[in-house]
Amino acid sequence: MSAGPGQGQGPGQGQGKIYDLGYKRYVGSRRAVATRWKVIMRHQLATAWKGWWRLKMPLTSAVLATVTTGVVMYVLRGDVLRMMTGMHGEVVRFADGLIPLSIVWYEKIAFLISLLVGAQIVAGDVQSGAFTFYFARSLRPRDYVLGKLAALGLLLALVMLAGPLVLAGVRVGLSDPGEILASLPLVPRTLAIGALGTVIYAVVPLGFSAAVSNPRHAMALWAAYDVVIGSIVNQLGAHVSPAIAALDLPSALQSVALELFDVHGSPGLTRTHIPIGFALGSIAVQAAIAIAVVTWRVRRAQQTGVGGGA
Amino acid sequence: MTALVELDRLAKRYGAHTALAEVTARVDGHVIGLLGPNGAGKSTLLKCLLGLLPFDGDARVLGLDARTQGAEIRDRVGYMPEQEAFLSGMTAVEQCAYAGELSGLPRNEAMQRAHAALYYAGLEEKRYQPIDGYSTGMKQRVKLAQALVHDPELLFLDEPTNGLDPRSRDEMLDLITELPARRNCAIVLSTHLLPDVERVCDQAVIMHHGQVRFVGTIDELRSERGRDAELVVEVKADAARLADALGAVGAACQLYSPVGLYVSLPADATTRLIFHTAAASGLQVRTLAVRRESVEAAFLRVIGGAA
Repeated sequence: MSAGPGQGQGPGQGQGKIYDLGYKRYVGSRRAVATRWKVIMRHQLATAWKGWWRLKMPLTSAVLATVTTGVVMYVLRGDVLRMMTGMHGEVVRFADGLIPLSIVWYEKIAFLISLLVGAQIVAGDVQSGAFTFYFARSLRPRDYVLGKLAALGLLLALVMLAGPLVLAGVRVGLSDPGEILASLPLVPRTLAIGALGTVIYAVVPLGFSAAVSNPRHAMALWAAYDVVIGSIVNQLGAHVSPAIAALDLPSALQSVALELFDVHGSPGLTRTHIPIGFALGSIAVQAAIAIAVVTWRVRRAQQTGVGGGA
Repeated sequence: MTALVELDRLAKRYGAHTALAEVTARVDGHVIGLLGPNGAGKSTLLKCLLGLLPFDGDARVLGLDARTQGAEIRDRVGYMPEQEAFLSGMTAVEQCAYAGELSGLPRNEAMQRAHAALYYAGLEEKRYQPIDGYSTGMKQRVKLAQALVHDPELLFLDEPTNGLDPRSRDEMLDLITELPARRNCAIVLSTHLLPDVERVCDQAVIMHHGQVRFVGTIDELRSERGRDAELVVEVKADAARLADALGAVGAACQLYSPVGLYVSLPADATTRLIFHTAAASGLQVRTLAVRRESVEAAFLRVIGGAA
């Protein structure tokens, strides 16, 4: 179709007049429906990047934690310190243990991001009516869920995956020439722990955000679950059964990390040690429940959003 | 030729409640009014047409099967919701560009069309401000722009003038009236404001109790009574005497002033009966016209008769 009759008219007109910038029918190709989740992911990343507190501050903290731990590892593995202390074996062992121990700090930073970003997403969209906006277009619920999860996964991987991986790289780099090969398995182990932590802090808070319709309530619920209920089940687990303590996600992740790195009784750990089977099972079940809740909520929103309730 | 919307025994049930009862209709035109009281099934019909709800029967939009090609339909259809549907913290241009990208447009194209659509909707420089601070009228304009941004061939507008002051309402109706010519798209206007329909629509679909009660042009809606239609008669004086005389020959009359009356003629009579009767009574007919039924009256007649 050619341009409308008002083509080229400008905003200098008076109120109530219609003007157009020159309309032409779009004849180009459109992005495949199956890839539109990437648009949602990009939008979510851009939204999270706005402001200082939501993402930039936690990321800065993660960088500081990584640099500090890296420096400590460097110092502990230095020849001078070994000679001075005369505790070669103990010091090296502690330096190796710093990677799983650093998970505790990365978890706290990841929790902060999950609280300020992840726990508000679905509830915020419910509250603002955004689902009507989304599903009036050719999006499927799985595109929405995938887009949001991918964005959260990327954000949290910057903390839970990138930080520990840098430390693993430092550890391998600090190895004596003879032990480089022996220290390489640290890298896949770190990857596994980082991926697990990313899944926990991307998926579970999103489940909380889908469980209620108010973003503030969702944040409060997630904080209470992670901090208060986590501490309670951890204490219960210490006295009753480690299986109960596995419900506490930070404890479950730390237990897996310590098991993979074969570190036991290290300083800085106050949580109950959980058998790896219980820990992995708990993480898998909680993540599955969270995805089920999100999917249910989004499917429901798709059918009720457009055109009002029915 | 492909109709905008074709429905063949379309049915939708929520448990025991029938929202749409085997609706069959073929809808075409430039601006189509979708009318019906609350609970008539308009929202359910829209959802089925957009491929968002499973249903029985067949429904085609722009020739596409709503059951299996919902995504393709939504790429070619724009939807302006009645309720607020904004993402918090975004400016109008950001939201419209995002809408365009979600509808499959490349990023640059989406941004250009977002500016064009907002400009068309009259937001000019205000398009760079966050939507959260907009007035109701401005929000309605953003909703129209985000429905237009991906270049749809058909627009569903749900109560587009709700909450607008008279001036904003006029401007919104002007924008809607101009859309078919300027953007080469048809419009389905779902509303309960019958004056809006009377002003901008050339076709009407009336729904009631999950059924389509009427499909046709606005003129057909008003004149659907056919032979039953009323005439407006004005005489120089004493309309009551003419009413009595016409009543005596089988016409039904209703006085609306000392010199005016509405007349429904018997089935086999023509307007000559009025002139003859007036002349026989010594009265002079000054005006004789078909009484145009308002859309509101026609709507009430259609749903009232079927209720």
